[in-house]
Amino acid sequence: MTGEGNAIIWKRQNLRELPKFRDGTGYLYLEHTRLEQDGRSIQAFHPDGMVTIPVASLGVLLLGPGSTVSHSAMKAMSDTGCSVLWVGEQGVRLYASGVGEARGSVRLQRQARLWAHPKSHLRVVRQMYAMRFPEGLPQGLTLQQIRGREGARVRDAYARYSRAHGVKWTERKYNRANWDDATPINKALSSGTSCLYGLAHAAILSCGYSPGLGFIHTGKQLSFVYDVADLYKLEVVLPTAFREAARGPDELDRRVRQGLRDHMTNLRLLERMANDLLTLLDDHHEEDGDDDDVGDLWDPDGDVAGGVNHAGDDA
Amino acid sequence: MTLEKVPPSLRGELTRWLIEVQTGVYVGRVSATVRDLLWDKVVQHARAGRCTQVYRTNTEQGFAIRMHGEQHRTLLDLEGYALVAVRDARHAELMRDYQPPEELETL
Repeated sequence: MTGEGNAIIWKRQNLRELPKFRDGTGYLYLEHTRLEQDGRSIQAFHPDGMVTIPVASLGVLLLGPGSTVSHSAMKAMSDTGCSVLWVGEQGVRLYASGVGEARGSVRLQRQARLWAHPKSHLRVVRQMYAMRFPEGLPQGLTLQQIRGREGARVRDAYARYSRAHGVKWTERKYNRANWDDATPINKALSSGTSCLYGLAHAAILSCGYSPGLGFIHTGKQLSFVYDVADLYKLEVVLPTAFREAARGPDELDRRVRQGLRDHMTNLRLLERMANDLLTLLDDHHEEDGDDDDVGDLWDPDGDVAGGVNHAGDDA
Repeated sequence: MTLEKVPPSLRGELTRWLIEVQTGVYVGRVSATVRDLLWDKVVQHARAGRCTQVYRTNTEQGFAIRMHGEQHRTLLDLEGYALVAVRDARHAELMRDYQPPEELETL
């Protein structure tokens, strides 16, 4: 529990392992459109003309109200690993998604192993928390203490951006039934967060992991999406959301999405997400236990060691 | 940079800076100033012709596009993402049924 367990072991990344997700572009938001396949191209209707969408290099397509997608277009997007998120009005709700470009299940199996084993599960949780503290976490904190520090870090970040941009901050709150009830800053945060969730989701699928097997969050189909998005939320969404909320309510969600695009490019977010996922789940860690463990032999009086000859003198 | 239906001397002029890899397609690496000056020169002398310039920038896509004299294609900026819109038969067909969202009228 305590001790050297929370040190990050940085391993040099084999660049060829990185999926093409990091080389692509992030997201595109479309609404009141019709997506269909023409020849091999995916085209969307826009009042100005038919727009060809480079789906293979796109991480997520956010489809807003009034969107229609043909079956062949959906299939093409699924084949090229472009995740499709159906988002509600102003991009608040996340309804569904397609599959990523991973076809093998090696990483999924590895994630499941890490998830199922308490020792490795704890290692991943600690490492995820440690990634949020650039100054590092002191050795020997309990999980509860770490959560306390994380809570303080989040509260401070909101307070800091609130002061810096002169936007009053009370609480994170929105009413799903009535979007317009929310304060502008909450709207800005919601539309920024849905972009981030979409990207985290796409990164997870693209690397071949499961969004359902979360480490910090657990029990939801998107638990791991929340885990991954939380690694970057304060750094990615907050600055843009507060800055745009300070500039007024007109076309707020659109401005947040546009501002995020530049911010994410500067942060090299796609590359970092792919790297971080592989560092968290693919690197070998001594403390995770041996994958090639022989396993025990079941016995009514408790398991006995496997891999040894129990014949004794009778052999 | 691509040129279509422009005076021959303009084509020749461009090859002083860029190489013509295919008819009307010019490639090269020049400074931002030279790139802009070449663009101005092309636009000024294109007459009824069409030209397009694509160059590297520090955006998410990594490049920017500009067009001149193009009738069928328009550049679209979708929240910072550059795409090209084409008006074709399919567009005309869909446009008939298109009803703009109500919010647009109030903007």
